[in-house]
Amino acid sequence: MTGLGSHFKIILTLSWRNLWRNHRRTTIMLGAISVGVWAMIFMTALMRGMVDDMLNQGIRNLPGHIQIQHPDFLDDPSVVNSIGEPVGELLTALTQNGSRSWANRIRVPAVIASERESRGINLIGIEPATEADITGLPAQISAGRFLESNQDKGVIIGAKLAERLETRLGKRVVIMSQDPDNNIAERGFRIVGIYQAELAAQEEFNVFAARGTLQKLLNIEGRVSQIVLVDHDYRDVESLYRRVEAATPDGLEVKPWYEIDTYLAVMFNMMDGFVLVWVIIIFLALSFGLVNTLVMAIFERIREIGLIQALGMRPGLIVYQILLESLLLLLIGLAVGNLLALVTIKPLESGLDLSAVAEGMAMMGVGSVIYPSLTLYDVVLANLVVVLLGILTSILPAWRASQLDPVRALNTH
Amino acid sequence: MITTIPKHNAGIHIYGLIFLGLLSVSAPTLATETGTPTPRELIRAAMEHWRGVTSYSEMTMTIHRSDWERRFSMQAWTEGDKLSLVRVTEPKRDAGNGTLIKDQSMWTFSPKINRVLKVPSSMMNQSWMGSDFSNKDISKSTDIIDQYEHRLLKSENLGDHVVYTIESIPHEEAAVVWGKEIVSIRDDFVMLRQEFWDQDDILVKEMEATEIATMDDRSIASRMRMQKLETPDEWTEMVVDDIDFDVKMDDNLFTLSNLRNPRQ
Amino acid sequence: MRNVTLRMAWRNLWRHWRRTWLTVGAMIFSNGLLIFAMSLQFGSYDMMINNSLQAFSGHLQLQHPRYLDEPKMRYAVDNVAELAERLRRELALDSISARATGFALASSNERSYGLQIIGVDPAHEPLVSTLPGLVKRGRYLEPGTPGEIVIGAVMARNLKVELGDELTFIGSGFDDSFAAGIVTVVGIFESGLADLDRAMAQVDLGYFQDVFAMQDRGHSLTVRAQQIDDVELLQLQIGELLDADKNASLRHWEELQPGLRQAIQADMASNSFMYVVLIVLVAFSVLNTQLMSVLERTREFGTMMALGLQPARLSRLVVLETALMTALGLVLGIAVGLAINLYMSRVGFSYPGMDEVALKFNLPERIYPAFTLVSLTLGPAAVAIGSLLAALYPALRLYLLTPIDAMRAV
Repeated sequence: MTGLGSHFKIILTLSWRNLWRNHRRTTIMLGAISVGVWAMIFMTALMRGMVDDMLNQGIRNLPGHIQIQHPDFLDDPSVVNSIGEPVGELLTALTQNGSRSWANRIRVPAVIASERESRGINLIGIEPATEADITGLPAQISAGRFLESNQDKGVIIGAKLAERLETRLGKRVVIMSQDPDNNIAERGFRIVGIYQAELAAQEEFNVFAARGTLQKLLNIEGRVSQIVLVDHDYRDVESLYRRVEAATPDGLEVKPWYEIDTYLAVMFNMMDGFVLVWVIIIFLALSFGLVNTLVMAIFERIREIGLIQALGMRPGLIVYQILLESLLLLLIGLAVGNLLALVTIKPLESGLDLSAVAEGMAMMGVGSVIYPSLTLYDVVLANLVVVLLGILTSILPAWRASQLDPVRALNTH
Repeated sequence: MITTIPKHNAGIHIYGLIFLGLLSVSAPTLATETGTPTPRELIRAAMEHWRGVTSYSEMTMTIHRSDWERRFSMQAWTEGDKLSLVRVTEPKRDAGNGTLIKDQSMWTFSPKINRVLKVPSSMMNQSWMGSDFSNKDISKSTDIIDQYEHRLLKSENLGDHVVYTIESIPHEEAAVVWGKEIVSIRDDFVMLRQEFWDQDDILVKEMEATEIATMDDRSIASRMRMQKLETPDEWTEMVVDDIDFDVKMDDNLFTLSNLRNPRQ
Repeated sequence: MRNVTLRMAWRNLWRHWRRTWLTVGAMIFSNGLLIFAMSLQFGSYDMMINNSLQAFSGHLQLQHPRYLDEPKMRYAVDNVAELAERLRRELALDSISARATGFALASSNERSYGLQIIGVDPAHEPLVSTLPGLVKRGRYLEPGTPGEIVIGAVMARNLKVELGDELTFIGSGFDDSFAAGIVTVVGIFESGLADLDRAMAQVDLGYFQDVFAMQDRGHSLTVRAQQIDDVELLQLQIGELLDADKNASLRHWEELQPGLRQAIQADMASNSFMYVVLIVLVAFSVLNTQLMSVLERTREFGTMMALGLQPARLSRLVVLETALMTALGLVLGIAVGLAINLYMSRVGFSYPGMDEVALKFNLPERIYPAFTLVSLTLGPAAVAIGSLLAALYPALRLYLLTPIDAMRAV
């Protein structure tokens, strides 16, 4: 194809000049492509941000990327279904294998009482050192302090719960639950911290204390409700899961997040498909304009094309030239569109506030502030689709132009 | 989400209830020759006093609310501070309902379903028979006294008796919601008053003996009223109609089968 | 004169039929897509609402005014069964059912659990809630039979009971007295909603009232409308019938399930954004086309103006051309949209992974489009407006044209 190569510079110049011959039309088309590309990237970034948020929150509520527990625990989260703290092979697997964090966790139903009210709650025993990796709790503390050690004697309750109980930071509350023999286990706890969760419902039910303290209270020393692991990226948990599962003793259940909450898993899997559909729809809307532009451009130059052909330019080169013209249009549009997207996404990095529909967002599992999430996949997809499909759509008009009869073409008015 | 029905926590301690119905000494009063006892001694003496004391009593409890009022009559057997059996005798609808307490565990019997049910810990905060007492209060042991720091606020003369006012502040980790409790107790162990203060020093509830009588040679508070200060038209009143002390208790009295099938 | 302009406009369009068709094509594509998407969207909202409400809460509930914020036993409605019967008669609507709610501890031989017990009217409950239909083992309650209970599958598992087993329960009655009973498990339901399957049980209303010392009281009258659009009317009607009753509040489902309306709004907001993008792109297309067509005919227009045609007329011409294209795009677009809708309403729409989404949001496995005026016309209307606006620029440019310059143009 030496013909192509050596003529490349000429053809490129031709294409470029043709593009700008009618700069108004080209500009408008560029505008359309830019907006389209911007929309592709911006919207998908927002959507992914939402889904990411939803997934991360969902995972933080489970909590964890991987959970190990008694097989009956998920149905019946009571103190009876507790498991031993990890030892031996499992302990090695947990600490060594590059997972970001792991922790023991306790979860039992309990009753909390203040001087005036009492409420049913989820009493959760956490390990403060690793909690920040596993849930967002340390960052949600709005008053007081977080727990300091596994033996901390304080308790952390939600702002809403404090309100319902008519109590405050610094006051004592009594927490009552039962031990495995069904005896009452109760104790006074001082409220050392108040937290505010994204999902208000959580604030009323989740109460946090130190794991060691609860083990003593509930008479389950050496036992826990769950062992929870967090990896680096929720998208890539499979290998860790396999290793941990292999190391877990029989009789315990190991589950990755996508098996615990199938809704989250589906959301996750659907995203890529959804992005593709969105990009293609936008492209289709653009394609009409693209073809129109091309056809008009060709139409205007029928005599010229006839002339060139009469002068000996091969039809193949004509196709090539027109395609190149189209490609240039697309590339410039892409460049501008990508830039626009970048410029509009960057300032939103600190979040888009949708608190007006906070309750509805909560129902979908999303917090009310969205952080757009720009992924390489999306950008590459958008660009690729525009270029490839754009060229594809341009082939027909280009080919038809090359099939023009030079004599007829020359005689067109 | 489903939660337990929150009821106002009565927080009255069992020793209060026992003081109610059972208490007194005819012999040594609280004031000894050595002078005013320490609050701990006071309470210890009270505890020691009826450890081993048995009693049988007939009581009436009135629960008053803004729009209704209910009245129960019941029989109660107690032995020391760890065993008690209560059976409702009136009204007809509730007759036969019973509660058995052994140490910290509580069972309830309802003739309607003819079953004995163990009251699980999650229901311990529910109210006992609809009154302002919770199940936990009724079953709480006096071991709880060790969970407070006691301080004598004052002692004064009231008629023929000396009345001691003791302030009890729960320990940091005590399973007690109150900021403090203040008890006024007479030298013959009759409790005149018990106050429950929240952690901001607001008086939330109080229990007051409105009548004192002598039954079976002992002075007891024969009428006591439990009142929440924030809702003045909600209260519970206990009246001791009759009480006998040092009653011979059958071995089988404090058992589940007896709860179900009364032999007495 | 109008006529001439019209004919000219029409002819101008078809002078460049490819260009016209491509532009109209863009409109048809967008209109069809918008109609399809909106119809599906509204259809899914309707379903989401209906299914969420059908599960248990109904469209309207008559309750004690304080019950919504503080669901205490004491905040009851008097004479529930009779009231329900009266409403059913007066409104000629069978899907009204009385309920009472209490909390109790249930024990089987092996375990005890707290659960919410609902006293229901077995004859009418199936008309207001889908739960009776979700009894997977055994059967639902039968009217007038005390001593029977249906529980959720998770609860059955936790309590380790099967059909025919007995449960004893104990709770607090209306007057705070003991409420206790023994019941036989006659049915186990599985709704897929954890809250219901784990914590809810149902017994006959009469039995409930007896055990919990309610007398003739209850906690709610649940109303399910035939269609979501009937709700407001029903609200008015019931309000009139119960006119002087201060002891009851009629709660709209938006109060019963506040998150639902907002979830829909959030979804609509995000969808609207996408629609707007689509419309903008189509408008660009129109702008391009019309601008080009105007510029090409600069000489022609110049000649016409020199012959006495006013610029205003020319502008009108351009606008008319756009209007014609838009009309074409509108009509054909709606036709296409309708066709897709009709097809979808037979086949139903679903995508892979919809089951879990369906579960979470109470949607059925296939979504059907809603044929509403809005869904069928809003999209196309917006496209039409966008297109006409896009035509403004080229039309206005004509005002700046001077005949001499125009005729000199290439």
